[in-house]
Amino acid sequence: MERILDKGHLLDWVATLTAWEVFAPGFQDGIWGYQPVSPSAEVRLEHSNTVQPPKNFTFPQREVFFTYDQIKGEAPKIAPIHPKPKQRVVFGVRPCDGRGLTRMDRVFNEQFQDSYYQTRRAGLAYVGLSCNQPTGPNCFCKSVGGSPVSSEGLDVLMTDLGDRYWVSSVTDLGLALLEVGGSIFSEPAQEDQNQVRATRIAAVSHPQRAVQNTAVVPSVLKESFSSPLWAALAQPCIGCGICTFLCPTCHCFDINDENASSSPLRGSRVRTWDNCQFPDFTMHSSGHNPRGTLASRLRQRVCHKFQYFHENFGVLQCTGCGRCISECPVGIDILSVVNQVCSAQVNGE
Amino acid sequence: MGDNSIYQPKLAEVIYIKDEVTGERAIKTFHVQFLNGDGFEHACGQCAMISVFGRGEAMISIASPPLIKEYKQFSIMRAGRVTSAFHELKVGDVIGVRGPYGNSFPIGDWHGKNLVFIGGGCGLAPIWPVIQTAVKTQDKFNRISVFYGGRSARDIMYKTELEQLRANADIYLSVDKSEEGWHEYCGFVPANIMDKAPSAENAVAITCGPPIMIKFVIQNLKKLGFSDDRIYTTIENKMKCGLGKCGRCNVGKDYVCVSGPVYSWDKLKTLPEEY
Repeated sequence: MERILDKGHLLDWVATLTAWEVFAPGFQDGIWGYQPVSPSAEVRLEHSNTVQPPKNFTFPQREVFFTYDQIKGEAPKIAPIHPKPKQRVVFGVRPCDGRGLTRMDRVFNEQFQDSYYQTRRAGLAYVGLSCNQPTGPNCFCKSVGGSPVSSEGLDVLMTDLGDRYWVSSVTDLGLALLEVGGSIFSEPAQEDQNQVRATRIAAVSHPQRAVQNTAVVPSVLKESFSSPLWAALAQPCIGCGICTFLCPTCHCFDINDENASSSPLRGSRVRTWDNCQFPDFTMHSSGHNPRGTLASRLRQRVCHKFQYFHENFGVLQCTGCGRCISECPVGIDILSVVNQVCSAQVNGE
Repeated sequence: MGDNSIYQPKLAEVIYIKDEVTGERAIKTFHVQFLNGDGFEHACGQCAMISVFGRGEAMISIASPPLIKEYKQFSIMRAGRVTSAFHELKVGDVIGVRGPYGNSFPIGDWHGKNLVFIGGGCGLAPIWPVIQTAVKTQDKFNRISVFYGGRSARDIMYKTELEQLRANADIYLSVDKSEEGWHEYCGFVPANIMDKAPSAENAVAITCGPPIMIKFVIQNLKKLGFSDDRIYTTIENKMKCGLGKCGRCNVGKDYVCVSGPVYSWDKLKTLPEEY
């Protein structure tokens, strides 16, 4: 379904979504982030992109699996904790982050199904906003199979036409959201059709930074495992892990027991985001560490995105949002790393 | 729904504890029995994520053969936070167990063959269920030999069981350095293999131990004529989920918890050396 929404009616649409919790980008403490929308609040969609991707909606940074409670000498009592199903709509999701969700789906929905992820995912709708121009200097979605107007992973895709939005439903859930809005929307006129077409063509033709020869990157990286460039390029890394914490597709996690009391024993088994850039991530208790160097950890991050995930799922994991480049405190640039390593390999350097 | 979570362990009671090795590199063997009629079947080589509540989980290979249904055996070296917690357990304590995880040894493909097992340190535990299964179904196999070495005589695990095995298998034990009262081979495990030179003809070699031992064992097996597809090993990387999701045990594209821990050398040698 295709509809036109006057910008002045955006909040009216939100107000009709009474069965959903609604989130939208908000500007707080100097950064853009997703915030709950209240009936009186303004919804702002002029964000470039949020600092954090919306992955917390399906994969929160901290998730309690169960609690344990044990009196000494007795068997522990285990109480499973599971998120309650919620209907949530997130407005303003950029196409790179929509595609990020589809990458997370592969990890958590396939083979062993993660009911925590699935429960959060089932009630989630993304109302995406296409990028009429790159939202930042480090966008590179086009060279990793995406596009500034991609609807992959989104339920609704909106395109900014100045004083109004072109609104397309992508999924059945998206269609339902449009139907709830009903007469708030209007039928697109020929002029709207012409404008959205022109806007999208212009969006796609905007120059971006790019991965070179993307199609061969997975196979070239496979040959580059022993490249001396990994060490050289990782040299400035301080191992802070911001690149993966802010990545829309990084899913690594830790599981730990957090005790609230030692006698009687009470606590929770908790999943938290973890990070392949940390040295103890792979360290055996013997001290042996398969990825004990910065070089091996940079290589892991890059090859996971551009080789291993492709080998396992047939698509690149990186969606080109550029956050890991923009937010890296020492200027490590995944695009430049991929391009340098692959070019050296191909040129036999 | 939470009960169906893939992260939810089943409860099991510790019914037996044995000190295999004491001292600095202590190893204890545990038998655990599921409570509440819970449980699972496993295959040789598979692992389980076992936990002491309040201390955490660790991935440990199941050391009992699948034909034992009453309990699961784990032999655990005290090394880190969780394994130390296991060493503090008493009979009657209740732990968490989830699994089984990973692939298994293709024992069915080895019928009619000679089996050469090579273990070092606590690396005897992951191949122990295969040895037990082979010996108990001996009519399906030819000669069974077991090479096993510890740093010193006190580091040898499964001492009694190895002695009992002599009735059904050739047992070649070793310690790294000569010591008083030791009458078998003195030297590293890979050297003991060259010393005894088991024939590669119609044989499969299965090895597990410290990474450096495995490396030289494989080199020597190749010298003895074992082809890459007749050498099997297991790799252990740090794991948290066991389900191919938490992201740390991968060797290249493979998550060892799902695609491993059992690899033939012809497959393992194609993966990057990150284990």
